[in-house]
Amino acid sequence: MDLFRIIIDYFAIFVLPLLIVGLPLYGLIKGVPVYEEFVDGAKEGFRVAVMIIPYLVAILFAIGMFRASGAMDFLVEILHPVLGAIGFPPEVLPMAIIRPLTGSGSAAIVADMIATYGEDSVLVKIAGVMFGSTETTFYVIAVYFGAVNIKKTRHAVPAGLTADIAAMILAAYLVQWIFGKVMV
Amino acid sequence: MLNYIWAGLIISSLAFALVSDIRDTANDRFRNDDPLSVTLEYPEGYRSEARSVPVRIRIDPERYRSFYGVDETPADGYQGSVIRTQRGTQLRFGTGAPLPDPLSRIRRFSSSADDELQGTLVTETPTPDSSESVAAVQFSPVRFPRLHDITQAAFDFAETAAEIALGLIGVLALFLGLLKIAEAGGLIHQIVRVAEPLIHPFFPEIPKGHPAIGMIVLNLSANVLGLGNAATPLGIKAMEELQELNPSPDTATNSMVMLLAMNTASVQLVPPALLVAVMGLQVNELILPIILVTGSSLIIAVTAAKFLQRLPGYRRSDPLRLAAEEVDDAASSPSTSEDT
Repeated sequence: MDLFRIIIDYFAIFVLPLLIVGLPLYGLIKGVPVYEEFVDGAKEGFRVAVMIIPYLVAILFAIGMFRASGAMDFLVEILHPVLGAIGFPPEVLPMAIIRPLTGSGSAAIVADMIATYGEDSVLVKIAGVMFGSTETTFYVIAVYFGAVNIKKTRHAVPAGLTADIAAMILAAYLVQWIFGKVMV
Repeated sequence: MLNYIWAGLIISSLAFALVSDIRDTANDRFRNDDPLSVTLEYPEGYRSEARSVPVRIRIDPERYRSFYGVDETPADGYQGSVIRTQRGTQLRFGTGAPLPDPLSRIRRFSSSADDELQGTLVTETPTPDSSESVAAVQFSPVRFPRLHDITQAAFDFAETAAEIALGLIGVLALFLGLLKIAEAGGLIHQIVRVAEPLIHPFFPEIPKGHPAIGMIVLNLSANVLGLGNAATPLGIKAMEELQELNPSPDTATNSMVMLLAMNTASVQLVPPALLVAVMGLQVNELILPIILVTGSSLIIAVTAAKFLQRLPGYRRSDPLRLAAEEVDDAASSPSTSEDT
């Protein structure tokens, strides 16, 4: 496992510089007018970023309001008994709800949980695995679809959320199976 | 679906905010009409004529808890100042003092800019040696703070969204430029040729040899390696390529949803930088479970996307299908077009 980590780490260190230096070099070898092509492509950067703005504003302000309203506390209160019964620790529920909405918000939750339960607790490990194995679905939808002006997202939200929910449940059970049950 | 979730988030935040505010008002959580008793230490001595005097504010923990009905305890003491004017005496807590709930919420509600908690001293009795005084402080009333919070959040996040988008300009330009070189040199075509058999089953609608496949491969590999900076521009480029195959530009195609689902499942060999920042070395023992969970969630994401696109509602809205039907209609009814 450690060797694997080292290999991956080295790869991660080298891959970006290789990409940034390698592509112009490759183009040069192929006889491409590299500077002209780069500038041509880079022109798009501004247009795409500006195009994303309305989509991102729509998604983020709704998420911001939801977080500020204290809805999370209510949801935890309501779902607490149900989750306890099926062996899903209710303490990680805020993480499961916030994760598809915002990345920085869920990082704050992990930090909170470390402070509350200690860094060795199984709950923190569950939250960490949840963080690592899912994406901020709504942000990705806003950015990727916003960049090409797609408004009708069809089954993107249900598909993304299905994957998220599955990952949350799997994380809760797998971590407890590997590191032991949550002590309450 | 997104229409309902989006409206749901906004409407439910109003509902939750109102319920929580009404509950707080009914329980008189902020003690709007009652002063809190505090002890003020005067390091420079108590002087009733000085205009501004530094003080150390102490709050008895027991009394604090019973006064507000909370479990939290105030710190040993807070730096602050007493300001005397003809209109009365004001007590100011130091800027950014680590106040317990609900004082922190009173501060957030009453001062938006300077982050100082302020209150009016209604009574103050100095001790005989004039180094301390026993006082009662009345804070300005807090009414519907959650309602205030959600409006503030809407403004803040709208600003953040624009900042995030504009912050992407540089990285987007860099990678879109590099990709243009790769395209012009024929690298994308080579990737397409190699990866086509592997990727095609997931994206059956992309014609053979189309550059979209190359961009999808690059986007997914950047994701696996945890290269967040590179993954976003590559994903956007992949979406642009897919958009060229899309007959109705405002509706997502099955391939677009599939790419999105694969992205949200986010298979990662390297844990995200944000998580490493929060958890430190602890992350190492989580790598294996993360890989197992993301691997399975990728399978579930692909299955879900494939399954959902077959549901009647989503089938009907499939842009490629609609376009095909239009062509069929035109072909099967040539007589009507001749008549007109």
